[in-house]
Amino acid sequence: MIGLGTVITAVILYAMLHFLVALYAYDRYRKGRSIVSNSFVYALSITVYCTTWTYYGSVGRAATSGLDFITIYLGPSLTAFTWWFLLRKIIRITKENNITSIADFISSRYGKSQFLGALITIIAVLGIIPYIALQLKAVATTFSLICHHPAFLIPASLRDSFVANNSGLLFAIFISSFSILFGARTIATKERHEGLVAALAFESIVKLLAFLVVGAYVTFIHFDGFGDIFSRMASRHPQLFDHLTTIAGIGETSYADWATNLFLAMGSIMLLPRQFQIMVIENSSESHIKDAMWRFPAYLFAINLFVIPLAFAGILLSGSNSGADFFVLTIPMNANHPWLALLAFLGGFSAAAGMVIAESVAASTMVLNHLLMPLVLKLKITVFSKLLLTLKRISIFGIVFLGFAYYNIIGQTYTLVNIGLISFSAVAQMAPALIGAMYWRRGNQYGAIAGISIGFSIWAYTLLIPSFIMSGWWHSDLLEKGLFGLNILRPTQLFGLTDLGIYSNALFWSMFFNIGSYLLFSILKEQNETEREQCGKFIDPFKSDEQQDAWETKRLSKPVTIMEFVNLMENFIGEANAHAAISEYLVEHEIDEKGMVSEFELPSLKRYVEKTLAGSVGAAAAKAIVESYLSDIGSQMESFYDAFRSVRSSLEESREALYVRLKSSEIMNKTQDLRLIIHELLELLATEFSFDLIVVRLFDEEKRLTVCCAIDAKGNSINQPDIMPEDDRFISDLLISRRPQFANDTRNLMQHQNLLATPVDQYTAFAHIPIVGEREPAGVLSVFSTSIVGLFTEELLNLLISLAGQLALAVELVDEREAKEKEKAQKDAALLKNAAVAQEMELAKQIQLSLLPESPPNLPGVQIAFLSVAAEHVGGDYYDFFVRDERIVDAVIADVSGHNVGAALIMVETRSVLRAQVNISNSPGTILANLNDLLYDDLTRAELFITMFYIKYDTISQWLTYSSAGHNTPLLYRSSDGSCQLLDAEGLIIGVKSGVLFEEKSILLDPGDILLLYTDGLTETSNSKGEMYGLERLSALLIDLHEEPLQNMIDLIYRDMISFAENFNLSDDVSMVAIRMERSDMDQQD
Amino acid sequence: MKPRIIKHRFLSRLRLKESWIIFFLLGIIMMNYPFLHIFNKSITLEGIPLLFVYIIGGWAVSILVIFLFTHSIKTESDDDTGSGTR
Repeated sequence: MIGLGTVITAVILYAMLHFLVALYAYDRYRKGRSIVSNSFVYALSITVYCTTWTYYGSVGRAATSGLDFITIYLGPSLTAFTWWFLLRKIIRITKENNITSIADFISSRYGKSQFLGALITIIAVLGIIPYIALQLKAVATTFSLICHHPAFLIPASLRDSFVANNSGLLFAIFISSFSILFGARTIATKERHEGLVAALAFESIVKLLAFLVVGAYVTFIHFDGFGDIFSRMASRHPQLFDHLTTIAGIGETSYADWATNLFLAMGSIMLLPRQFQIMVIENSSESHIKDAMWRFPAYLFAINLFVIPLAFAGILLSGSNSGADFFVLTIPMNANHPWLALLAFLGGFSAAAGMVIAESVAASTMVLNHLLMPLVLKLKITVFSKLLLTLKRISIFGIVFLGFAYYNIIGQTYTLVNIGLISFSAVAQMAPALIGAMYWRRGNQYGAIAGISIGFSIWAYTLLIPSFIMSGWWHSDLLEKGLFGLNILRPTQLFGLTDLGIYSNALFWSMFFNIGSYLLFSILKEQNETEREQCGKFIDPFKSDEQQDAWETKRLSKPVTIMEFVNLMENFIGEANAHAAISEYLVEHEIDEKGMVSEFELPSLKRYVEKTLAGSVGAAAAKAIVESYLSDIGSQMESFYDAFRSVRSSLEESREALYVRLKSSEIMNKTQDLRLIIHELLELLATEFSFDLIVVRLFDEEKRLTVCCAIDAKGNSINQPDIMPEDDRFISDLLISRRPQFANDTRNLMQHQNLLATPVDQYTAFAHIPIVGEREPAGVLSVFSTSIVGLFTEELLNLLISLAGQLALAVELVDEREAKEKEKAQKDAALLKNAAVAQEMELAKQIQLSLLPESPPNLPGVQIAFLSVAAEHVGGDYYDFFVRDERIVDAVIADVSGHNVGAALIMVETRSVLRAQVNISNSPGTILANLNDLLYDDLTRAELFITMFYIKYDTISQWLTYSSAGHNTPLLYRSSDGSCQLLDAEGLIIGVKSGVLFEEKSILLDPGDILLLYTDGLTETSNSKGEMYGLERLSALLIDLHEEPLQNMIDLIYRDMISFAENFNLSDDVSMVAIRMERSDMDQQD
Repeated sequence: MKPRIIKHRFLSRLRLKESWIIFFLLGIIMMNYPFLHIFNKSITLEGIPLLFVYIIGGWAVSILVIFLFTHSIKTESDDDTGSGTR
């Protein structure tokens, strides 16, 4: 026998155990050694699905209507088949988007609609309040049963005590405090409630164990196993047995009810706010789904195994099925097993506690984010983070006590099972929108709102109101007569659909109109921008982010700094969380060296801030918060001007971009004229993108950026200044970074100086793009727009960069080609010039040759021959003969230093001067001295000098008079002794010094003597070994050849020299004059 | 060797998304009219009603099938569609 004290102590101890389990799990979680993050606990926590409705209600229903209770568990068991795809997808989407509840999930998908979130929250709260009431009722009723049962020794005076009468209230207080303590510790993002989950798992074990122990006791100890109970039932109550073990007799009605229950249960396991909270929000790893998929159905299977035996046992023991809702408790009590009864009570207590805790936490999140948050934002309250937590706690309390109120006002009369199914039908209204959210791209906000609200209205009309009427709380003849007395509008037989159960009727019509409106409105209306963006995240959550957003299509009209975003977040989630969140973002994204966020990065940062806030306040509220903040500081999200006007296919470039690329490469290939290319390219850009000014500046040799082409939108040329890079800070930045410099709204620019190439006062948007290929930047492409703010998307800039790159290649090609052509022209010119010079030289050579004697003078007593070969076209060698009279002949040989044109000219001058001097004087010495004086100035100026040998020969007297101006000593062959001697005379080279005297020598010659005058080209010619031809070789040859005809002789000498030089190129002019003395006639006459 | 190959083949079929959907739909069909109507008779097997046996038995089989399904995910080890531990 157990007294009231024992019961209360047991309950209090059990409640404390709850706290301990939760505290332990929370502590472990904070230390990073979670006991909750495993698939066992996950599966157990999901069984929060099994409430007192299962624990007591299943037996009650089995005893009254038979097997159909099982549909409530068979349904979720079938749904588990889909979890690996469906649940995993939901979890992935939830984690990616920081979703906080099922209302958040659906409203996020449909454009973060605040209205939709609020609608779902209201439905969910209205749907679950009766359900919470049911739990409170179960605890209160079972407690009162214990208090009044003789199995417990409770004095009559205590039976009406405060505790006994207000057990429902006390339970509500306990439950709400527990939920607040473990379900609303902080408002922080991404935090799971591990203490809470641990408590739920613990409760799940207790309720299963309690039920199994009671079931096993009754089945195997009180009775003799399943067969015994069934056969006794069959013999004692054959009619009832048939009724309970088959589905209602004739007609398909009850099959329809069966199917209705099955589908309601299949949906509820996913849609009930607490199921979503536990299965999705509290999930710590997707891999836990795998084991939960079979463990959860197995749990359901186990907890239902003894339901029928218990129901039959209850009927057998009490004789009827009245009070069957509490057979689980009353059978042990009536069998006088108070401890067993206490265990059964605690099991029911667990089932109730788990449900209320999970449901109130889930619902409070929804109420806070979707009902209270919009109000808070409207009222512009600034101290958020504390306020939010308080509001959340109040919400939990409020929800539990709404349930308590419902229980007190109308819940007393209605049986347990029905309340549960009403809740199921309410949340089922979210099913079409939820499934559509993940699998139907076109499903939109209007469809979701219409479907849910119409479905919900029909639910209220066909289920909620009838339940009020049936409970007797509201007296109306609506059920019999229908709305406005129209028979066809009777709630339970809507549109004349009779013979269908109340739930089937409600489910059919609500789903028919729900799905119908969802489809209809989704097809009729277009999605808005946010929806389209969200749609991708929900339908393809397994795609990475990069694949999803090819280009930003939005921009912030006024840039926001990182710090401003951080301050915003601090208001809602506290300083520490805000800083942690932003640093996580900065690590993940490339932020440029100045710590500035690029214009294209801002929308992404804004989204991140929104997502972070969404983790605390839900997506719809987060969107509203960020947007109202932006509008406060005068910034807003606005679309980039869509330069690519056509509908873009999500991942690829728009058709316009491809068209422009195609056209531009056509232009580049069509011609090689750079100016034409640039002009056509600019015209293409002007017509395609309606730029108001396009300028291409290219670097010239002085590193000046000169305007190559500048046109307006109509293609007319516009005057633009040439600039130096430092004249415009955008240009100089661009040349350093080689990145485009642009502004989408020049009104935001702070500085206006140093912008020669950027007329910001005339244009609202501009971009400078470097024309840079493989080498140094070749120039700058600048585009301007007068009116379109937000013209430059990343996509458009990338296109312009690529066009500029192509242009750079074209410029480089043209440069290369020009350089080659220039080089070639220079070469040609040089060749041409050379040819002209060569021609001139040839002419000069002819002239020079004509100045030399054509033939030797014919004079008796002397025989003369000569030879002259110039190394170049013109030479500096000179020889001449002057026949003074019949007996005297003068001969001269000279060599002007060098053998170029200068030397040739001097030779010509020398010849003229000499010819004049010959007539004035007849002494070789005097002639040379005069010549020296006359030529000295010219020679000094030309830096040339002359060696010369002058002879005068009297053919009669045979005296040879000679003078030398530093010339090579001529060779004289003496016929008398066959030897060679050198003729030498003192004398300086002409042109070294003026006023020089020249020695004059005379020698008497014999007939047969040969005088060989030559220039140094002959003796100084060298062969490949470096040996010189030399005087010795020459004089030996002269001796050998003295009998040869004179011309023949010098030809042979020349040939000998050539063969000596071994085809070595002549480096100097070679000239020879040979004179052979002969016996003159006069001499013979003597 | 042979049973192992059969087991492997069977499990690899279970990996297909289609198999899951087929079994899911099959479960719904078999737990509804008209399948239920076949067993909805006042007959007992060893004293236990036929419909009860059918439902409990069918349920147990469905749990076993899910167990095999999850087992097939395990044998698949860690490919992309497998454990997404995050």
